[in-house]
Amino acid sequence: MTERLEKLEKEISAELKGAAGKQDVLGIKTKYLGRKGEFASLIKDLANLPPPDRRQAGEAINRVKKKAEQEIAKLLEGFQDEEKKQRLTREKLDVTLPGRRERLGRTHPITQVLDEVIDISTGLGFEIAEGPEVELDYYNFEALNIPKDHPARDMQDTFYIAPDVCLRTHTSPVQIRVMEKHPPPVRIIAPGTVYRRDSDLTHTPMFHQVEGFMVDEGINFGHLKGVLTHFLKRLFGEDRDIRFRPSFFPFTEPSAEVDIQCVICRGSGCRVCKESGWLEILGCGMIHPEVFRFVNYDAEKFTGFAFGLGIERIAMLKFGIDDIRLFFENDVRFLEQF
Amino acid sequence: MRYSYNWLKEYTDTALSVEELAERLTMSGIEVEAVTPAPSAIKGVVTAEILTIEKHPAADKLTVCEVKTDTERYTIVCGATNMKAGDKVALALPGAELKGGVKIEKTRIRGVTSGGMMCSEVELGLAESSEGIMILPGDTPLGMDINTHLGLSDTLIEVSVLPNRPDILSIKGLAREISAVTGSKFLDKAVQVKETGGPVEKAVTIGIEAPELCRRYTGRVVEGVTLRDSPQWMKRRLEALGIRSINNIVDITNYVMLETGQPLHAFDLERLEQRTIRVRTAEEGETIETIDGVKRKFSDGMLVISDAKDPVAIAGVMGGNESAVRITTKKILLESAWFEPTSVRRTSRGLALPTDSSYRFERGVDVEGVRKALDFAAHLLAKLSGGSVLKGVVDAYPKKLEPESVRFRTSRAGSVLGIELDEGRVKEIFKSLGIGYKAAGEKGELSVVPPSFRMDIKREEDLVEEVARLVGYDKVPVTLPSVPAAPTMADKAFLVRKRLRELLVASGFLEVINYSFVSELTFSLTGPADKKGVTLLNPLTEEQSIMRDSLIPSLVDTLVWNLARKNTNIRVFELRPVFITGKDLQEERWKVGGLMYGPRRPESWNVPGEAVDFYDVKGVVERLMEGLSIEAYAEVKAGPTGASLHPGKSAFLELKGKKAGILGEAHPDICHRFELKAPAFVFELDIPPIAELVGEAKLYSALARYPESTRDIAFVVDEDIPYGGILSAIRALDTKFIENVMLFDVYYGGNIPGGKRSMALRVVYRSSERTLKQQEVDGIHSLVARTLEQRFGAEIRKG
Repeated sequence: MTERLEKLEKEISAELKGAAGKQDVLGIKTKYLGRKGEFASLIKDLANLPPPDRRQAGEAINRVKKKAEQEIAKLLEGFQDEEKKQRLTREKLDVTLPGRRERLGRTHPITQVLDEVIDISTGLGFEIAEGPEVELDYYNFEALNIPKDHPARDMQDTFYIAPDVCLRTHTSPVQIRVMEKHPPPVRIIAPGTVYRRDSDLTHTPMFHQVEGFMVDEGINFGHLKGVLTHFLKRLFGEDRDIRFRPSFFPFTEPSAEVDIQCVICRGSGCRVCKESGWLEILGCGMIHPEVFRFVNYDAEKFTGFAFGLGIERIAMLKFGIDDIRLFFENDVRFLEQF
Repeated sequence: MRYSYNWLKEYTDTALSVEELAERLTMSGIEVEAVTPAPSAIKGVVTAEILTIEKHPAADKLTVCEVKTDTERYTIVCGATNMKAGDKVALALPGAELKGGVKIEKTRIRGVTSGGMMCSEVELGLAESSEGIMILPGDTPLGMDINTHLGLSDTLIEVSVLPNRPDILSIKGLAREISAVTGSKFLDKAVQVKETGGPVEKAVTIGIEAPELCRRYTGRVVEGVTLRDSPQWMKRRLEALGIRSINNIVDITNYVMLETGQPLHAFDLERLEQRTIRVRTAEEGETIETIDGVKRKFSDGMLVISDAKDPVAIAGVMGGNESAVRITTKKILLESAWFEPTSVRRTSRGLALPTDSSYRFERGVDVEGVRKALDFAAHLLAKLSGGSVLKGVVDAYPKKLEPESVRFRTSRAGSVLGIELDEGRVKEIFKSLGIGYKAAGEKGELSVVPPSFRMDIKREEDLVEEVARLVGYDKVPVTLPSVPAAPTMADKAFLVRKRLRELLVASGFLEVINYSFVSELTFSLTGPADKKGVTLLNPLTEEQSIMRDSLIPSLVDTLVWNLARKNTNIRVFELRPVFITGKDLQEERWKVGGLMYGPRRPESWNVPGEAVDFYDVKGVVERLMEGLSIEAYAEVKAGPTGASLHPGKSAFLELKGKKAGILGEAHPDICHRFELKAPAFVFELDIPPIAELVGEAKLYSALARYPESTRDIAFVVDEDIPYGGILSAIRALDTKFIENVMLFDVYYGGNIPGGKRSMALRVVYRSSERTLKQQEVDGIHSLVARTLEQRFGAEIRKG
């Protein structure tokens, strides 16, 4: 028995040494460790030994078997590792081929700027309100202190639907509509589409505005400056200079035009700012008492400010667009850039 | 309006440079748009000195002069005789341009090369006639540009005058403002009219019959005038400010208007019937031929200037031809008046005749400046037309309007502006603006009387603004209002729109914005044929004349625009209101529309090049419903969808049983009209019914704890039987255990007979309470099979 075992051990070692691949090892495994293998027959032959010897012989068989098992497993693992290595070297993609893409959509640049303006305003506590685009002359003009036959109407060329119905020329009528319904305090931002009878390189007959206004006791011109300064710095950057200069709007008094330092030349003068270093960016002012009279607000008790800005102009400055008509041509090569 | 810096300087002694001035004006609310050097008619002429004069070798009447500037010497051939060696002259060098556009070149004159020309006053545009060349003073420096030397250079200031400040629509007015803003002195002019003969009352009768429309009418008569060209200085000033010179009389009225802001008119007195002026309203049907030769018809209520018979001028707008000054004119009636602004505006608009005069009247001229302007004009007429001014002025001023005083509270102004305001400073500001005041009531309270030329100052806020702009807006400290924190609730409709945009962007759509107005033709594309639209009374073009009632035609426009630019892969959406005529007012309805055209996915090496079809657009609509969590309420159904879609390849969306949109293939007529190579697929949904359903509380349903059983079933059925019907029949069978039905194959042709199709479903069975038994599942599944056979005549396929 011992002799057989020794011989077997040597045989296995020799065969394993000669194994060239995984298949050889598996063959050896079956031959010796299989159900009908050499070890199985050895164990079967144990029964022929006298009982006192069996235990020792059994242990010897197990020792050799275990060693064979370990050697086989180790060898197998080696071959498998090698094989995996080879497979991984073989398997290869051209990773520079283009990926499989889903389409990517985009919102319109005007929507993007509107969203930004709205986000900044709501962050300052303003609520959103909206009004109709086809508007009564009363809301668009009269209640904003622009009577019929007043030269201030020349500031805004108007499309009419009927003698007393027009396409709103600004988002300011929302002021009236809101104040008519709500007593102060109010803090409103009103984004929307407006129309003017005008068409050239810098004007389209339809464009977008945001109107903001705030009414309460004790609101003053310094607050207007504060809110708009904060607003414009968020929109155009902290380090940009801002100036307020007197102007005229029938529905505010005092009125102001706000300029920001030119986004192109940063104030040194260029074609875009007409060499002035400044860009006109919005109109604003303290709400005119006459407007308060139309909505039954007590002008002695309450004061407020209002501002309005053109979204196209801001988008043009932010994105460096020099032709306003691009916004409404909807060329996908343009829209895909934002 | 355009202003001449030199002219302004006649009225103000400001020492500021024109650039500094522009900055100061802009920051005080007078927006200077441009500062440009005035174009000069004379170019390339410099001062020079004659060194020697010799006779021309080949011409008796010519001389040959040696002339030097500060740097060069020139030989000049000259025909004049009034100069001597040592004289200073104006030398035009080659390339120079003289009056009337005459260009100077180097020329050979009878064998001698002349390197330029010595100019006469006529050639320099300084006089109508002159003898010989212009001799300059002996101390004239050499080599200077002649414009600079003679003070002919000027700077033009372009100001955008806002509607509330008509008082600065003149040289005098802006100069007054400059003085107030800069603290310099305002130099008003006073003329003394030399009167002879008269009295004027005998020469003309003037009556105001509509005093509410004409507050004041003044007239003077000038006799013995001669119509001729204006002097050069006057022509230069008019032209610099953009007004063409006509003749001395018309030019004087324009000149005085530019300088004082008061429009004037000159009538040929002898052509006025009964030498009478009636200021009255027009009668219906009256007409006038204006000085531009156009016959115009008055409407009722327009203010006219009439003689004893007919209208001779449109008050404040334009004069008539019949009474206009002409070469034979000897006697002139000068008119200077104050017409009611809205009346002038209505008339000028009604006749579509905006003029420099109406522009000023409709904004408001200074009622107290009327007479001054008249005197100034009469003075100039006497000086420049050889006429004599009759004694006296007709001044019809029925009711002198006393300015109303305005209460001003220093404390109120300070609190509105957010600054500390001192009464002394306020008084200083008022004084500089010519605003009168006296102390009234409490401390810091003033009773203010605005000057007659400041018609815009009517109330306290107007004064607050004056104070603010002269203090300087930059002096107001920047502060943030302290307001109670109020939670802001975003509008739901607003949020739904935002969410729809996000979902469409995530589905690969680009957002477009088209004009809300379209052409009649585009409007009619969506039918029905007899519909009425919200139409503009005054469109810019026919292409933009009617408010759209659907987004689909605009999306097709976008497609066509892009196809023309070789952008052939289009997936766009628009989210805007459309306009629908209502009983009283129009209705604005928010819609979202989309269009798909071209390949389903961006073309690439590993992507099948399939084109989009109906089920892509349907998939988008389903995805929107899913994304808004309202899929349970939504159903896409076959049925009529209107003129814009293919009747057999379109459907409508129903939300809780109500129509809420359409989708499908664009109508072949539309594809044909725009020559599309492939069909376009579109959808258009109403936003309000969507918004109404969005946001109903979402309740969590427990995740399944027991295993599912799936069974597949394939069957052949008539192809006319809609799948939707089959699906709902199955779902209706046993809603408790049928968890899901999924269509995984539809097949036509092959061994399937014509008119039929094969469909394969996977049905998922599950109970939320226990594991279903094999037999139970088989039982329900055979019910499915039976339903298919009995209700739909389906033949179940084995295997």
